Amino acid sequence: MKTVKSDMSEVLLNVENIAISFGGLVAISDLSFNVYKGEIVSLIGPNGAGKTTAFNIITGFLKPNSGSITYRDKSLTGLAAHQVAKYGVVRTFQKTSVFDGNTVIENIMMGLHLNGRCKVWEVLLGLPRVSIENTRLEERALEILDLVGLSNRASDMASDLAYGELRLLEVAIALAAEPALLLLDEPASGMNPSETASFMKTVSKIRDEGTTILLVEHDMRMVMGISDRVVVLNQGEIIASGTPKEIQNNPKVIHAYLGYGDEDA
Amino acid sequence: MSRWISILWLAFLFSIPLWMIDLYVLHILINTGIFVIAAMSLNLLLGYTGQLSLGHVAFFGIGAYVSALVSLGFDLELTDTYTFVFDAKPVWIAFLSGIIAAGLFGWLIGRVAFKVRGAYFVIVTISFAEVVRLVSLNWIDLTEGPMALNNIQPFTLGIPNLWEMTLYQKIPNYYLVLVVAIVCYILIRRLVHSRIGRAMIGLRENEPLATSVGVNVTHYLVIATVISAAMAGAAGGLYTHYFRIIDPDIFLFIYTVTMVIMVVSGGKGTLAGPIVGGIIFGLLPEILREFAAPEMQWIIYGIAMILIVFFLPDGIVPALKNWWKNHRSKRTDSAEMDAGT
Repeated sequence: MKTVKSDMSEVLLNVENIAISFGGLVAISDLSFNVYKGEIVSLIGPNGAGKTTAFNIITGFLKPNSGSITYRDKSLTGLAAHQVAKYGVVRTFQKTSVFDGNTVIENIMMGLHLNGRCKVWEVLLGLPRVSIENTRLEERALEILDLVGLSNRASDMASDLAYGELRLLEVAIALAAEPALLLLDEPASGMNPSETASFMKTVSKIRDEGTTILLVEHDMRMVMGISDRVVVLNQGEIIASGTPKEIQNNPKVIHAYLGYGDEDA
Repeated sequence: MSRWISILWLAFLFSIPLWMIDLYVLHILINTGIFVIAAMSLNLLLGYTGQLSLGHVAFFGIGAYVSALVSLGFDLELTDTYTFVFDAKPVWIAFLSGIIAAGLFGWLIGRVAFKVRGAYFVIVTISFAEVVRLVSLNWIDLTEGPMALNNIQPFTLGIPNLWEMTLYQKIPNYYLVLVVAIVCYILIRRLVHSRIGRAMIGLRENEPLATSVGVNVTHYLVIATVISAAMAGAAGGLYTHYFRIIDPDIFLFIYTVTMVIMVVSGGKGTLAGPIVGGIIFGLLPEILREFAAPEMQWIIYGIAMILIVFFLPDGIVPALKNWWKNHRSKRTDSAEMDAGT
């Protein structure tokens, strides 16, 4: 079996001291962590810990009050979401988010936006390169559907897909944007155990093809089974970080999830 | 299948002047054609990017006025001592100027308005159309205000000094409108089937998702507005040089509403939608005039509109497509069942 072990020497993403509050609510007080090239890192924590907020900040959907995000020596801080995507940092959404009114393959082709080069005037003039590009994008879209196992649904409407398929489609759309760093926000929520198991294989496959993955997930079987490293967030702060094994035995983590037991009992 | 429908449909449209001797009918078809072009341009914005522009007639009117003024020539007293004199230009230059001017205003509105979305965009576009109307009404030195610009040159075709034809008659004007409409249709079709169009549709369907895969929202919305405005300007230019008189009433809100009705009833976000809707609501008032009292005409018009929106909320074209799809799948299903037994 081919496995690409993470190369701990190359920092892909560096999140440093980011903080954000909404009105009086401090969502993230001080968050710093690194993601190394080729690894699968999970960001876990109880609800409201600030995981999705961290995703939103990294991908440019929110501006942090302070702190910086660096991706391969380039600062992402303050960039708009579409610019972040251009650098190769692409995310999925917690709530199922696809282009409902379009077919599955059209969904992927929309995700391939950055892959295309044709300018407006070339399109209006109907130059041959436009249709050549279209064919190329369509072939690429089919490859991506193959990777996630949705090729048999290519011409169905996205709104006709089953829930598990929709979640795969979301990942496929993100993959179409050719991410070097893929941020998955609770991709397995709502999947049944067998769907989750096959989804884990898909995620590993994506990593093996060279994409680094930052994962937010509540399904602990998936998190512990797939991650190289786990970062635990609670109330806007990192309380632990390490391999899945270390995390499982960390008392702070247990307390964050289960609370402090009644010591007198 | 759809290719054959297009070819038959085109052949029909091109053949109309050959057998239709009633010039009044031809006049109505020209008028309808101009509105179909305007509706197609609105569809690019409303149907594909999902932004409702309720000031679309402004671009139509700007195209019409600029085209008229450039073909007539004008002078402007800029200061007490200096008067800017603009000589009359050939009609085709005027027509192009109208398209470009409308496109530029589209760019301006796109830049300003797409900072604000949804309801605010609607308000900005309505205000813009109203401002343009008031300017055309009050800037009498330039636009003659309510006295209207008249004696506007009709289109001329041909090569200067060699062979020229001035389009006074209905038939050549009909073909001109038809050709412009076909060009607009082809441009829109190319656009929506490209990555540019997919970006626009992506913004309509799910803006955060489109942004997350790298679509620059403002950029594509501005592109859509510019192209849409320029096409509306072309429709305005055709109107000007066909009717040969324009006044500020061209900016009336009701024209925008008519365009929206055409797009929504035909099916927004479909290529054929604005054509079907445009033909129905362009011809309906004229057909009704034949056999209904004036009050009844508008009542029927309104009822037709309500029925369409009520029973076919997605518009006529998507409804027909669905019906056809179901019809076909039923047939193949029963064929398979027959084969199975």
